[in-house]
Amino acid sequence: MCVAMVVTVVSVMTGFLDMLKNSGRQIVGDVIVSSGIAGLPYSDEFLVDLKGLKDVQGATPLIDTIGLLRMPYPRGNQKEVAHVQVWAVDPISLATVTDYANDLYWKPAENAAAALAMAEDDPRKNLSEKILTDGKTLIQSKTGNPGIALGIHVSIGNERQRDGSYRPRYGWFMPENDVTLTVVPVSSQGKIAEPREQIFPVVNEVQTGIYEVDHNRIYIPLKEGQRLLRLDEAPLYDLNAEPDGQGRYPVIGTTPARVTKILVRAKQGVSANSLRAQVETAYASFSKRINADPTRNASMPDYVNVLTWEQQLRDLIAPVEKEREMMRVLFSLIYLVCAGLILSIFWSIVVEKTRDIGILRSVGASRLGVMWIFLRYGLVIGVLGSALGVLLAWLVVRNINAIHEAIGSDAPPTIWIGSFVLTGFFAIGLVYAIWRGKLLRILLWLLATLVMGLIATFLALHHGTLIWDPSVYYFTSVPDQVDWTTAWTTAIGGVVFSVIGAAIPASKAADIDPVEALRYG
Amino acid sequence: MADHQNNLQNHSDQTSPLIEARGVRKTYSFGAVPVEVLTGADLIVHPGEWVAVLGSSGSGKSTLLHLLGGLDRPDKNGGEICFDGQPISVSHGKRLDGYRNKDIGFVFQFYHLLPELSVFENAMLPGMVGNWLTNRSEARKSAGKLLDSFGLSHRLAHRPGQLSGGERQRVAIARALVNSPRVLLADEPTGNLDAKTGEGILDLLAQRHANGLTLIMVTHDPAVAARATRVVKLANGCVVQSSASE
Repeated sequence: MCVAMVVTVVSVMTGFLDMLKNSGRQIVGDVIVSSGIAGLPYSDEFLVDLKGLKDVQGATPLIDTIGLLRMPYPRGNQKEVAHVQVWAVDPISLATVTDYANDLYWKPAENAAAALAMAEDDPRKNLSEKILTDGKTLIQSKTGNPGIALGIHVSIGNERQRDGSYRPRYGWFMPENDVTLTVVPVSSQGKIAEPREQIFPVVNEVQTGIYEVDHNRIYIPLKEGQRLLRLDEAPLYDLNAEPDGQGRYPVIGTTPARVTKILVRAKQGVSANSLRAQVETAYASFSKRINADPTRNASMPDYVNVLTWEQQLRDLIAPVEKEREMMRVLFSLIYLVCAGLILSIFWSIVVEKTRDIGILRSVGASRLGVMWIFLRYGLVIGVLGSALGVLLAWLVVRNINAIHEAIGSDAPPTIWIGSFVLTGFFAIGLVYAIWRGKLLRILLWLLATLVMGLIATFLALHHGTLIWDPSVYYFTSVPDQVDWTTAWTTAIGGVVFSVIGAAIPASKAADIDPVEALRYG
Repeated sequence: MADHQNNLQNHSDQTSPLIEARGVRKTYSFGAVPVEVLTGADLIVHPGEWVAVLGSSGSGKSTLLHLLGGLDRPDKNGGEICFDGQPISVSHGKRLDGYRNKDIGFVFQFYHLLPELSVFENAMLPGMVGNWLTNRSEARKSAGKLLDSFGLSHRLAHRPGQLSGGERQRVAIARALVNSPRVLLADEPTGNLDAKTGEGILDLLAQRHANGLTLIMVTHDPAVAARATRVVKLANGCVVQSSASE
């Protein structure tokens, strides 16, 4: 039971951690290049360099900033305003680095079977392919205007169901509405310029799998982001020359558009750390080349942050990892309890079997032979217990969603009626035991009747308790993969601690004086 | 004492002794009080002898038997016990375990069978605890043969609790003989049986003795001791008389 408990709990936690990591990697790629507030110029050229690296699958530029989003609700003049993380992206290249295209939530069913599986009131049943295309391009096809994609939990309009799908709440289906985004451009000196706002039609909503992201992030086209934040291409004026009659300085060139981040995706089998080193080298070479070119109107920053996805998301991942390790350590204390139980049980057996140990010694059993008898039993208990524990954990973890579903649903009438019938049989057994007057039997039948009666009553009154309610928690299902590393280490630990628990009484048995033992009892 | 010395002398003239105990002393400590149970016991047993060690309660009979059987050791500098010329009183570990397993067999007053094992398993126990990988099939054959010859072939699967006292003692004797030991050490083998059953057990031992088995039997009953070929009297922790049985 101890092994089953440890393996089940740690497997589920590892599953959640893996889901978190997997989702994390799918939203930022493998390596993230971040520059300061002034942004990174010549990103198009740097992207060409990056894509030329043998281990790079794709790279995408983006601007990461904060903004305020005025929502279309409630009706009337007082609208709700949400604080959001703005990602100005190139949606096409973003889809090669992250799972952006797959994460778009509103899309028609892929086929007739999938459509049939959807609930009647699921809005996706009536969606056309257009909404998906609009989301993938961040362009509203109806008007040709740039659109915005919201994280699925940015608006209050999406109500999550038990099956993980969403229904519009209060009638707010966001892709039919406009929102107003306000951002504040910041100069390279850190000075705040006049806030700028723009109305965007919501073209789709995004479900990445991480609540923190889906609750805060919105996506707009890169060009719009650059324009709003004044990071777009701009004329370069000669401030040393005389202004013309209208006070304008002569234009001597253009300053390049800028981005604040570049996400890079590694090819299959390439580690993020290895790619990080390559990207760092590539940037050093690129910035050297640009800065040495006198025709350039902007210089590359000397230093950029190049982080792997794990480093970037460590604030999100580290607490969950720590929590899992804490659980592992706490649950491992169960080993000590197991060893203590085996020790006390075996100690009692040794005391009770002292004379038998003397008999064994009298017919030639060695001290080691006597010791081995008890160690062997400890080993057998450890091996069998661990094997059964792993098997039980495997059964529970593999079926955890079905079990969860069963707990969350009403008990079928046949089950609870059957339980009441069984209670009745036990009650008859109790009456018979009272008639026979055997106290132990009376007690056992009474316990069986009470326990079965309680189970039957519970089942009859039970209307489903969802422990892991998908409408509350983020992931729609509980991880159902056994963490085999944990399973094996736990099983081996179980065997080792069983043998350790048996070793002390086994040593006592080996030390028993045969003459004393033969006189015992 | 003179008889005893003569007896030792006579036997030493005939064959070399199988078991030889000289000046054996054994002291038990009960708390702070030492109790000297054997104060210098001498005993020589030759192959083929049936020696009855006779003495009153507390005279040290069982202690002497345990020492002879390698279950216990004499006091430091408390004499020497040899089996077939080899000292066993200073042996340790594997050698002593092998001695108890192969060279001698124990029969106890209260049978000392393992209650969880069947009659057959009890009988082949010495074959299981020794070098059992090689001995087990041999022990199986031997146990079957012995139990059959003791009239217990219909009881093989029974537990000791399902047997009568006489049957239990016969199983105990079968167990003691399963590895074909050279000496059988019996501690009051009829002490827990009625007279008739006891006689049956003594007949069985006599039969084995007739086949060449050396027997050392501890008893407090002169009538039982009379079945032996030689009676050794133990008093105050030492052998006071050794004489051929009448």
